[in-house]
Amino acid sequence: MTEEKKPEERKPRKHATEAAGKIGPMVKAALAENLRAKEEGEPIAYSFIFSSYDEIIRAMDIMPAWTENYAGVCGAKRDAQRFLERAESENFSRSLCTYALCGLGFDSWREETGEMPPDAPWGGQARPTVMLGSGQIICDPRYKWYQAAQHYMPDVPVYVAGLPFPPYEDDYDYRDVQDYYVKYIVEELRGLVAFLERHTNRKMDWDRLSEVVDISDRTWNMISEAYDLRKAVPCPMGTGDAMNTMVPMTFMMGTQEAYDFFKDLYDELKRKIANKEGIIPDEKYRLLWGGGLPAWFALSDFNYFNSKGAVFPAEVTYRQVEPVYELDMPKVSDPLEHLAWRWVKYWAYRHDKARKRPGSNPDVERLIEYIEEYKIDGVVIHEAFSCRSWHPGLIWQLNQLKRVYRDIPSLILESDIVDISSYNEADTRARIDAFIDTLEAVKSKKG
Amino acid sequence: MQVDVSGRGLVTVEKYYQDYGSRARELKKQGRRIMGYLCAFTPVEIIAAAGFVPFRIKGDVNEPITKADTEMETIVCPLVRSCFDVALKGKYEFLDGIVIPHACDSISRTYDVWKYTLNLPYSHLINMPHSTGEPSLNFYKSILGTFRTSLGKFAGKEISDQSLNQAISLYNQNRAKVRELYELRKTAPPSISGAEVAKLLIAAVSIPVEEANQLIDSVIKEVKQRKAVPAAKPARIMVVGAQVDDVAFIDLIEDSGAWVVADDLCPGAREFFADVDVTADPIDGIAERYLRKIKCGRTFREKKGDYEDYLEERFGHIGRFIKDSKVDGVVLYIYKYCDPYGFDVPAMKSYIESVGAPVLYLEDEYSMSTIGRLRTRIQAFLELIGSK
Repeated sequence: MTEEKKPEERKPRKHATEAAGKIGPMVKAALAENLRAKEEGEPIAYSFIFSSYDEIIRAMDIMPAWTENYAGVCGAKRDAQRFLERAESENFSRSLCTYALCGLGFDSWREETGEMPPDAPWGGQARPTVMLGSGQIICDPRYKWYQAAQHYMPDVPVYVAGLPFPPYEDDYDYRDVQDYYVKYIVEELRGLVAFLERHTNRKMDWDRLSEVVDISDRTWNMISEAYDLRKAVPCPMGTGDAMNTMVPMTFMMGTQEAYDFFKDLYDELKRKIANKEGIIPDEKYRLLWGGGLPAWFALSDFNYFNSKGAVFPAEVTYRQVEPVYELDMPKVSDPLEHLAWRWVKYWAYRHDKARKRPGSNPDVERLIEYIEEYKIDGVVIHEAFSCRSWHPGLIWQLNQLKRVYRDIPSLILESDIVDISSYNEADTRARIDAFIDTLEAVKSKKG
Repeated sequence: MQVDVSGRGLVTVEKYYQDYGSRARELKKQGRRIMGYLCAFTPVEIIAAAGFVPFRIKGDVNEPITKADTEMETIVCPLVRSCFDVALKGKYEFLDGIVIPHACDSISRTYDVWKYTLNLPYSHLINMPHSTGEPSLNFYKSILGTFRTSLGKFAGKEISDQSLNQAISLYNQNRAKVRELYELRKTAPPSISGAEVAKLLIAAVSIPVEEANQLIDSVIKEVKQRKAVPAAKPARIMVVGAQVDDVAFIDLIEDSGAWVVADDLCPGAREFFADVDVTADPIDGIAERYLRKIKCGRTFREKKGDYEDYLEERFGHIGRFIKDSKVDGVVLYIYKYCDPYGFDVPAMKSYIESVGAPVLYLEDEYSMSTIGRLRTRIQAFLELIGSK
């Protein structure tokens, strides 16, 4: 029986920064807070990260339950398989997003038995009051997952907020269309506020929303400034740690706690730089995590890279912020309109830059920018088999990078975000070893 | 010059199906411009109104995917990979451009891969929303306006309301003819096989709409004049899935002792049944059809009423087919890596069973080598139906 499977025992990953070390307890506390809220009858919203509605939920004092996060926790604790198998037994294909499968397996289990699955990681995930999807130009599970979850919780309403952003095209500029994108997003966010007021007995406090938006703007800036410090040689913080520090960025946006966390990280990185304290004592290769969600159950692979003298000063994944003051935003008084502009401008941030390089596009341009600014020697991507949101196009980006910029060593890792059965440690490490050999050969050639 | 297909409808269908793209190639040589597109969500009326021949890009289940993997991930829907592979191998060398709608991740997240790798003179992504409320509809009209302007620029002339209305009229005629064709499937035994219908509809999306209309008329006439009565088979099956642009799977069912008498597929009823309403601004009618009338897993419909009502709203059209076409069993034929349909399976299965039809859910990979392996499961399903 799948119900009887127990997670494997494993050691915690070694962090380079104190900040990353704080994350585990923070996630645990947030999940406990969810359970407390449920107990006390407070509204809980199943939510997706990067959906531009964090500030709305916070301002309305609704408790977000980040379902991707909970699936990631199950994956990191190597206790997702029983939920994946449960979803499969419900006729969901194992090729679908494993965050969603883990969540659906968990929900169907909890709904069937009326209680948390036994030994649920960190106490489990509480039944939601509402589920908030989003319709973007990425990630089908953002509108399908919660619709599918309604099959097990038919009384829980779902809202899907349309959050499109302009594609990068040759024959028109995003500025030609931005106004109608912003108008639509504002209407959708306004619809979300009305939906939440209808289903949660909470009222929007618009002044509070303005304050929360202001905090999140400042947090965007602080994250950008802190992460920019990683350009230092030796690098004080790597992608392994960034896969921890993504927690306050993605799950706590709009809170003072998130801002303070990144201010502390900024200060810590400054101190490390002043002391010339890198992730490892002898930094030989600087790598870019060029895309792909991580294998949450195998974050120790980053330590393995470190053991070979390689560090990751930058990553594309979970760096979904840019300095707000660089986004060319119009000044608007409506906080929803501000959120809409920030969303559109964030996605168009590198359109102008890409236009200057024939054959480039904003994704390729970002790789080039990081390679130059972070003094990168090689690019690593991870293809998670179950995710068609962030992974299709990565191979092409690597190829195009080499066609329009320059040849640079690259490595493609393959497994999944949650499904550990897709992962082979020996094979992964053999690939890393071979990649390190390539980096060394290139370095020796350059002299 | 239009080809006269009267009296040779089924023969012509076979030719266009077997040598897919042959008519577009001929037309290209005659100076026509051909616009490739993916998926039923591309508003072909706008392409036709701009003077292009809309050409549906299809894959090939018999062709192993060998070139696509160098640029496109293997985790992408196998149909999209096959389409890309075939295109990379030069089968659609006659295309002047490509239009890709924001249908699902596999299609829209690979837009740049298509755009830069094929390097065609024109490309456009139609950023269609997922929701169907008024703000989404208005946004989608703006998106269609941007596409209209962009394509008009490439065509060298603005796309007028008049040309749009003409295209809408032709496509509505096309859809009416397909609905008439489907009436021929309702008889017992059906007057036309599932494989014949599938081939006709696949051929129809590879040729100009005027020619498709003539072709469908010709096939309907031929079928009505048939002297030989089709063999009686014990089961009447409906197939539900995403894009099934090859008859191999339909053949497999019909070779196993059943007729495929209904479908919710593309090309198929999903794609062909809904008309564009005639509206003062033709974009209004087009937007309404593609966003609200086509029932596909990629479009999110808000729940109104209780959960049973919601299932009826999402899958009621399948229920109506089951009733009207006297369907004995439904096969859910879903591709691996298909998020819009994969997430729908438990709800869809539960709905179909609730209206009294048994369901066989099959996951496949768009390849002849895997389709063959499904034979035993289909046979077992047909036996189950037969024993009831």
